[in-house]
Amino acid sequence: MQLEIEIKFSLNGRMVQTKVPPTMTTLVMLRENFDLTGGKLACGEGECGACTVKIDDRTINSCLMFAVDCDGREVQTIEGLGGVAGLEIMQQAFVDHGAIQCGYCMPGMIMQARYVVDQNTDKSHQLSRDDIARGLEGNVCRCSGYTKVVDAVAAVILDEASA
Amino acid sequence: MSSIKMGKAIQTSPVFEKKTIIGQRVTKPDAPDKASGRTVYINDMVLPRMLFGKILHCDRVHAKIISIDTSAAKALAGVHAVLTGYDIPELKFGPTRDNRTLKAGKVRCIRDEVAAVAAESEQIAAEAIGLIKVEYEDLPPVFSPTEALKQGAPVVHEDHPDNRSLSYEFSHGDVAAAEVNSDIVIEHEFEVPYVTHCCMGPGCVIADFETNGKLTMYSQTQYPYNYKMDLAPAVGIHPGDIRVIQPPVGGAFGSKLDVYPFEPICALLSKAVGRPVKLTFSREEEFINSPTRQPAEFKIRSGVNKDGTLTFRSVDCLMNNGAYTSWGPTTPVIQMRTFTGHFRVPVVEYKGLAAYTNSVYAGSFRGYGNVQATFVTASVMDMLAEAVGMDPIAFRLKNAQKPGEVTPQGSKLDDCKLRECIEIAAEKTDFLKKYKLYAQDRVNAGRIKHGIGIATSIHNAGGAKIHKSDGCGSILKLDDYARATLITGASEIGQGIDAVLSQIVMEELGIPMSDITIVNNDTALGPWDVGVHASRTTFVTGNSALRAAKAARKQILRAAARQSNVSAEQMDLREGHVVQADNGVSIIKLDKLLRQMHFAEEPELVMVSEYYEPDSELEDKNHVGNLSATWAHGAYVAEVEVDTETGEVKVVKMTAVQDVGRVINRLGIEGQMEGGISVSLGYALSEQLQIKDGKVLNPNFRDYKVPTAPETPEIELHFVESDCKASPLGCKGIAELPAIIPAPAIANAVYNAIGVRFFAPPLTPEKVARALHDQVPDNTQ
Amino acid sequence: MINIENYHRPSSISEAVQLLQQGEATIVAGGTDLTPQIEAGARQFESTLINIQRVEEMRGISVTSGRYRIGGLTTVTDILESTTLAADIPVLVEAADHFASPQIRNAATLAGNLCNASPAGDMCIPLLLLDAQVELVSWIDESVSTRRLALCDFFIGPGKTVLQKNELLTAVEFKQPVAGFSASFQKSGPRPALEISTVAMGFAGVLEAGVLRGVRIAIGAVAPTPLRATATELVLEGRSLNESAIAQAVEAVQEEVKPIDDVRASAWYRTHLSGVYIRRALALFQGVTAHAA
Ligand SMILES: Cc1cc2nc3c(=O)[nH]c(=O)nc-3n(C[C@H](O)[C@H](O)[C@H](O)COP(=O)(O)OP(=O)(O)OC[C@H]3O[C@@H](n4cnc5c(N)ncnc54)[C@H](O)[C@@H]3O)c2cc1C
Ligand code: FES
Ligand code: FES
Repeated sequence: MQLEIEIKFSLNGRMVQTKVPPTMTTLVMLRENFDLTGGKLACGEGECGACTVKIDDRTINSCLMFAVDCDGREVQTIEGLGGVAGLEIMQQAFVDHGAIQCGYCMPGMIMQARYVVDQNTDKSHQLSRDDIARGLEGNVCRCSGYTKVVDAVAAVILDEASA
Repeated sequence: MSSIKMGKAIQTSPVFEKKTIIGQRVTKPDAPDKASGRTVYINDMVLPRMLFGKILHCDRVHAKIISIDTSAAKALAGVHAVLTGYDIPELKFGPTRDNRTLKAGKVRCIRDEVAAVAAESEQIAAEAIGLIKVEYEDLPPVFSPTEALKQGAPVVHEDHPDNRSLSYEFSHGDVAAAEVNSDIVIEHEFEVPYVTHCCMGPGCVIADFETNGKLTMYSQTQYPYNYKMDLAPAVGIHPGDIRVIQPPVGGAFGSKLDVYPFEPICALLSKAVGRPVKLTFSREEEFINSPTRQPAEFKIRSGVNKDGTLTFRSVDCLMNNGAYTSWGPTTPVIQMRTFTGHFRVPVVEYKGLAAYTNSVYAGSFRGYGNVQATFVTASVMDMLAEAVGMDPIAFRLKNAQKPGEVTPQGSKLDDCKLRECIEIAAEKTDFLKKYKLYAQDRVNAGRIKHGIGIATSIHNAGGAKIHKSDGCGSILKLDDYARATLITGASEIGQGIDAVLSQIVMEELGIPMSDITIVNNDTALGPWDVGVHASRTTFVTGNSALRAAKAARKQILRAAARQSNVSAEQMDLREGHVVQADNGVSIIKLDKLLRQMHFAEEPELVMVSEYYEPDSELEDKNHVGNLSATWAHGAYVAEVEVDTETGEVKVVKMTAVQDVGRVINRLGIEGQMEGGISVSLGYALSEQLQIKDGKVLNPNFRDYKVPTAPETPEIELHFVESDCKASPLGCKGIAELPAIIPAPAIANAVYNAIGVRFFAPPLTPEKVARALHDQVPDNTQ
Repeated sequence: MINIENYHRPSSISEAVQLLQQGEATIVAGGTDLTPQIEAGARQFESTLINIQRVEEMRGISVTSGRYRIGGLTTVTDILESTTLAADIPVLVEAADHFASPQIRNAATLAGNLCNASPAGDMCIPLLLLDAQVELVSWIDESVSTRRLALCDFFIGPGKTVLQKNELLTAVEFKQPVAGFSASFQKSGPRPALEISTVAMGFAGVLEAGVLRGVRIAIGAVAPTPLRATATELVLEGRSLNESAIAQAVEAVQEEVKPIDDVRASAWYRTHLSGVYIRRALALFQGVTAHAA
């Protein structure tokens, strides 16, 4: 019998409980145990960012993190960003700026984009296009060529600065 | 909306101005779900009772299969079926019928599929694969096409003892004579590498054989209708018994334009277990097993007169066919058009030959042979310009065709905008000034050198008639609420055709985009189409939708005219109303009219079907004919910085000027161009599938480097709108040129910066540093 | 497939090392090296997994009487965002800035980077310049036992260190560098960070009365372990920075590196880059020290 560990954590704002083998990755747990298929297994090696989720206040590659380590933490996935309320402003910006083509990379890309903007608490320094690009350096997109992705993030920064 | 009083009548009717959605920035209807993580891609799908398939690929490059022992795999709990090539009939498939699903007898390359398993989980399937024992006897391999063509080389396919696969020849005029009469003749060799698509969604298929022998394939294919024809022989059933469903996919870029063994193998597994079976590649499997772009070696001789007139071009293309034939070795069909028809070259000759080897094999990849051809021609154009002492712009303008010219292969350049593209590109980038300045600066000291380079190309922009029909069908229906459904043959692979088709319907029927549903993912519903390739989708399926929308419009206006004193010709459809065309005054609400039509004494529904066939020709046996309904040109300028010590090349800016016919969705066209440029940037600087002795050395994103955000240059786009006559919509196909032209523009810019010409992409830091080092014999660094 | 029989999540060093003492176990920190290695079949789990992520005392950056201590579980992001390090030891922050991607940096721990012992590991480069020591802890005779070791003696080959099976790397420590200490970190591109180093070079030294003192050169990806280029250091030690010293350093470093050909680069290119980087490091050093003077 394979060892299974019982864990409890906050998933998109709600407490959940599940059992996972100690070597299961967070990505597989989210997809299989919770049907949260937004995050994708596109490489499984930390190289593409398609599996990006937020754990507590940091984004990580969920394909590399063991699910057992979610115990007691706050996990946020793309499904929890806007949630039932509809699209969150970053998601909407990606739609409006035409950043999304096949969209496969986008759940991870948008999670990371939101993180990059939120991380910059220094309001005196507005993120430049280069800063945004560096913040997204771990997210591969083969369709968009990144220009519209950066456009979308830059627009959110402007919007939120004026809000 | 506003209202005006009609004469003395008390009643007011709403008034609608004429607005157009064509050329606007339109967001994709599928984007909100994709942004929210809701979209269920094929890789996310789970069917009830579904099992998981996995393939055992061989670890040899050329070997006899002595024995396969599957007993331990079969005995593993949770395993439902284990198949080998000895369990199934020998069913050949592929464009030249030289491939089979599970191999028997011998294996010919590292991809070869020797066994397959269906099990209750991916883990069990993987474990079972590990339990299969195969005994091989190695055979001498051959990897280079040159070696393969030599007498006595190892034979890859016994029925091709000379290892020759496909070959092509075209000639126009007397090359020998032209050569004698040329002032300058140059000859060079180029070599282009294996590169791969890197779709973010790895290869995946779900096959479901029903009890009645019919097969449903949930597939990533981008050519669903011909896919049935190509898949059928591999599975041994009638194409009519296959239904193809296309769930959302994570990219395609040409990689899904053929049937690859994993798909029929999955179907055979499903047949064996009587349940749906899903087969997914890991990223490593994807790198090794999915088709690449066709690698090739070119020998090119070109002549020019002192006044800068091109005299002849002669090209020899040798392709590594790999072990089997997919579309890669057929790319000369498109490539040849560039060699023979890009710029006015009076005498041309092209020879292409593919040789079987024990290497992996290539398919189609955005640009279809023209990526390779353009790297060569655009580099050679710069070299010729230098040879005659002209600048790259003047030299190109001197040889650029004018509208109405016909190329030696019969490509009709009716609305040729090559000159405009070059002129705009030069002007917008201040090309000549920078070009001269950077060239002069080469001799000065300094670690960073700047360079600017231009490249141009031509591509089919009105489909490409490689089948007897290059058409697309559309079925359009309106319901009682004036909601439209367009059932189209077009495939959506992320490129945004749904938005474009919605715009076209909206433009004709005057209903909002949100009231239009596009159905395009099921061959049981959709009418025939060739598929997403050859930059054809907006051109062909768009014009097909336009016909359907026009037919529906006609039916609606005819009905409206019957009950009003305004004639159909004087009416228009705007914002859900039938209006008077001249003043926009509403005559009747569209939904009301549709209900009236529906419930009339002689009821009628608005449901029309149309087929659109572009005005193009099949090539004759000499490769002559107007293969595409229209052709488009582009001129791209790259500005680079070269670190002369580390060899790193940074592309600072890319300016793209392209004849797009007419912009339909501005947001979409920009996205296609930016995405294409990114792919070409990788081709120029970093991407290469490294294959040694038939094995892939870098099957991961760590060592196969696709461009990321920080490497992306500033991009400036300029659209030339020729308003194409051959296209009722005025548009041209656009999506391949951006993936074709940037790479040689970058190589030309690097030459401008450091005076070193590269004949083999990618221009990796090491290659550039090495070249600079070798140039300076006494280099102490 | 290895069946995992035990999973532990200790919350203190003492608990962790007692578990390690019980037999073969795999230590899991950020998992950014471990998971890909397991997936690729390059490595197998032991039947016991010890997840050390909750050992809070292994996190954080502190300074006590001129001695810096970085806990083993400190992430690369923590280093990148540390205002203390940015002010005092910027070379560590520079290296962190050239490390992987934000998501990886958020998970990757310092101990994991060192224990993985990749010749291309980036964080050991600045630490070698700082003469850092690693703190290795085990459970011996019913009590916690600690030994300290110079980082340059820690690595013994690709993926190999002197770490014993019952030992945990709990922290890295180094002394406050002497006044005038100036250090740089360079890594091959063209990507800014998400790139396994073809060559990474760290250089440090002090300019004293016009001559170089305390020269440290550390180079990644040019030898089986991260390399302290001691021969090149000697060439520069006590020299004034003129073209002849620079040329000799270039020659010495190219002699000293022992790179291999692999998919990422040839030995020739790695040697070439080592020369380029030492020249640049010296130019940078000259610039900074001239400015300070
Ligand atoms: C996409 C990607 C990019 C990367 N880029 C870089 C890069 O630019 N530069 C670079 O240097 N590295 C890079 N890495 C490698 C990796 O991220 C680092 O080495 C990281 O610091 C490892 O830390 P971890 O906490 O994830 O280690 P883990 O994977 O958890 O562990 C690594 C090894 O160390 C052991 N271990 C961990 N902690 C301890 C401890 N406290 N005591 C004893 N043993 C321990 C583990 O048992 C394991 O053997 C990259 C990795 C990926 C996936
Ligand atoms: S799937 Fe996790 S980084 Fe690619
Ligand atoms: S949108 Fe297709 S990979 Fe990013």
